[in-house]
Amino acid sequence: MSVSDETLMAYADGEVDAATRAIIETAMRDDPEIRRRIEEHRALRETMQGAFSAVLEEPVPQRLIDAARGQTAARAGNVVDLAHARRAAAGQVPGRWRRWQPTAMAASLLVGLALGYVGWHSAKPLVTTSSSGELVAGAGLAEALSHQLSEDRSPGLAAITGLSFRAKTGNYCRTFSLTGSHASSGLACHESDGWKIKVLAQSPPATSNSSNFRPAASADPPAIRVAVEQSIDGEPLDRAGEIAARQSGWSAASRR
Amino acid sequence: MSTNESAETIQDQIVALLPRLRRFARNLVRTPHDADDMVQIAVERALLHLDQWHSDARLDSWLFKILRNAWIDEVRSRGRRAKLFMPEEAGENVGEASMEREIDRLSVEAALARLPHDQRLAVSLVLVEGLAYKDAADVLEVPIGTLTSRLARGREALAAMLRPPQGDRS
Repeated sequence: MSVSDETLMAYADGEVDAATRAIIETAMRDDPEIRRRIEEHRALRETMQGAFSAVLEEPVPQRLIDAARGQTAARAGNVVDLAHARRAAAGQVPGRWRRWQPTAMAASLLVGLALGYVGWHSAKPLVTTSSSGELVAGAGLAEALSHQLSEDRSPGLAAITGLSFRAKTGNYCRTFSLTGSHASSGLACHESDGWKIKVLAQSPPATSNSSNFRPAASADPPAIRVAVEQSIDGEPLDRAGEIAARQSGWSAASRR
Repeated sequence: MSTNESAETIQDQIVALLPRLRRFARNLVRTPHDADDMVQIAVERALLHLDQWHSDARLDSWLFKILRNAWIDEVRSRGRRAKLFMPEEAGENVGEASMEREIDRLSVEAALARLPHDQRLAVSLVLVEGLAYKDAADVLEVPIGTLTSRLARGREALAAMLRPPQGDRS
């Protein structure tokens, strides 16, 4: 009797009903070829299970455990919780300091401390806070975001721009990477009063394998990717799109 | 608060499923680092959309589905974002040079990697992850007949690739 190979496969996988099972088991008794084919299906199943079981024994990276527990954003040194950083910037500025120093300087210093980015150039800060306490691009980063195209990877740049796209809000947004000892990546969106930083995360350390291949800006933390995926409207801008957006001053009003 | 408790329980269950999510992700993308990134994206999305999970559905299938959808988004956007997110070198290197050393394991991995996406996912879910046809079909959002035929074709191709070069034609 002839039984289709799909049926034999389903039998080997325990996926047939009782009636079919009875038919196949009868056929198996009489036909060594059917026995052989079923055996082949079972052997392949065992091979496949065995070949990939090693990963199950590996220790799970802490970042995944944290993500599963919803702790990604709270973890120091990984993803910076912007609301928390803003509260820190707004609430913890000592009064004396406010009087002594220009507010923006104090706030940017505090944000720098809160984020662990002490040592950023304070004359041309990359990240600072607006008067309303939002994290915004400082002069150095704003210059890069407004003028650099994504292909620009000349050495010595303080910030490298990555992907540009239009968000569902209509605003233009760009990802960026900051170089130097506190390498980090972020997502900034251009709003009416400048570049607002939506996400800022420390870049994962380059592994020995990938560092040979990847440009510095490619090792974006998953938090940035998630933020991009959640806010992007359509496809990222290509070079021409970036140039057009730059000419429009990254203005949300001018839809192409 | 019962809602907090159930959220805790689900998070514990997700943690317990991480090894299997990592294994599934490694059959989607080539480098372990990229695979873990995919898992992280999927887990973050799952927590954001916990309200969409029905407790009568299997949590593993639901997470596999989110992971698979995250990977599809990644593949779709890969063209333009390649330079930023997924350099092509990282995706195309199956590690053939070291194949001879660990013939069994690597040849199975390499064989699976050579299957078309549809078949690779079907094989991965049913043979590696041990999902029932019905659950695998649900993860892939295809009818069960489609799943069965992809699985059959994938198996046939794998068997042909893994068959020893001599001794089977005698």
